[in-house]
Amino acid sequence: MENLKARDLYSYYGTSPVLQGVSFDLQQGEFLAVLGRNGVGKTTLLKSIMGLTDRCDGGLAFGEREILGLSTPQRSRLGIGYIPQGREIIPQFTVRENIVMGTFARTDGSRDIPDYLFDMFPILKEFISRRAGDLSGGQQQQLAIARALAMDPKILILDEPTEGIQPNIVKQIEDAIVWLNQERGLGIILVEQNVPFARSASDRFLLLDKGRVVLTGKSDELTDDLVEKHLTF
Amino acid sequence: MDVIANQLFAGLSMASILLMIALGLAIIYGAMGVINLAHGEFVMLGAYATWALQTYAGIGILPALPLVFISVAAVGWIVEKVVVQNLYHRPLDTILATWGIGIILQQAVRLGVGAESRFVKGPALLSGNTEIGPLIMSNYRLFVIVFSMAVLAATWVLMTRTEFGMKLRAVIQNRAISECYGIEAKRVYSITFAYGAGLAGIAGALITPLFSTIPTMGTGLVVDAFLVVIVGGLGSLIGSAAASVLIGEATAIFSIVINDTLGRIAVLAGIILLIRFRPRGLFPTETRR
Repeated sequence: MENLKARDLYSYYGTSPVLQGVSFDLQQGEFLAVLGRNGVGKTTLLKSIMGLTDRCDGGLAFGEREILGLSTPQRSRLGIGYIPQGREIIPQFTVRENIVMGTFARTDGSRDIPDYLFDMFPILKEFISRRAGDLSGGQQQQLAIARALAMDPKILILDEPTEGIQPNIVKQIEDAIVWLNQERGLGIILVEQNVPFARSASDRFLLLDKGRVVLTGKSDELTDDLVEKHLTF
Repeated sequence: MDVIANQLFAGLSMASILLMIALGLAIIYGAMGVINLAHGEFVMLGAYATWALQTYAGIGILPALPLVFISVAAVGWIVEKVVVQNLYHRPLDTILATWGIGIILQQAVRLGVGAESRFVKGPALLSGNTEIGPLIMSNYRLFVIVFSMAVLAATWVLMTRTEFGMKLRAVIQNRAISECYGIEAKRVYSITFAYGAGLAGIAGALITPLFSTIPTMGTGLVVDAFLVVIVGGLGSLIGSAAASVLIGEATAIFSIVINDTLGRIAVLAGIILLIRFRPRGLFPTETRR
């Protein structure tokens, strides 16, 4: 397991800096919740970790390694599993092909799908040969998580995994995320609008506004007053 | 009746050549959204490579095929690395750039080898004819037809049954997320472009005994190949196969019923009519930039 360390991170789309001097640490096996209103740079923060924005300045280290100079595929092979907003599974691939796609980021060349994925999300086993585009939103989200886990990641970064998903599956996904963190020791960065879940599941939180960190601390220090002040519209 | 049967056969062998050229075009367009106007010159390079191997090294067409494939693919790989790769976010400019590359390649051959027509001997192994009743089929043309079917099959296997094909399909559908799962999209693009160029090279090699080898030979062929790709549906392998047969045979039939020039006009008019009613071709597929 590795830690992730951002120092004074700037991230740009074209010439406009979306992140302006963001710093944070993710310790080994830690669960960090990234909170904030719409458009403050939460998604951009995760994209910057994967190298999907136009340009980044500052420092970003994964374990001992500085990763800002690495390409997106190189970063993925270090073991950063990214579950993007809107799931972005490949709709024309089958469920199996989507999960196998996750293994392309493995460095040992294995193409095996870990069994525990199907214990976690049994529906994926049932629908293994279906086209992923035919799955419901919640099933696609489970697939997106399974795809990221198939690469045997060291940390997981998730962008609003429960957004727009039917309530019974939201619970399954939340339980899975907590289980991955607590039982498998995966470091997790979670961008989330659902404050009660983020607060109960995470160790620490990072509150963004206008591309900067306005508040950070232990999650049990995130009082309703702070939520009221920084997260309501 | 005999005339028509023989003409249909000639049309089929022409369709096979067209298919190999169009496959390369379709793959390159389907994967990267690049309209490769240098594709005809890859065909021409394949033809000249075959001529050079036969003239200077005494290597016949059949053993030359793998060498031609590799050398033209290498040219395609370099073109992709040096020029096309920098222009993926500017699709319109790739048209100009590849057109320019085509002109450069054409002129380079004209300066280096000369503008006069070159001749390549067909393989002695396939020199005879096979006759079925009134139908006289040259063995070489039969070979070209079978070979192009094999190329189509190999391409299908590559795209749908191999890990490379799966990576390519993933990149076509969502480049960013593919890169997040370890797929080197740039490398996938380079290999795809090189493969398409290599196919064009093979088509050029196979056409040498049927067609005079001149620096401008690719231009006419690539126009027909573009028509095949458009009629077949962009990025569709089956569509390309069906459309190449359709266009090859239509050209052959029209040229005996009327004459070559009017036949050509009739084919183009037919295509315009078809595109009017099926603007995305016979077998449209979902492509994504």
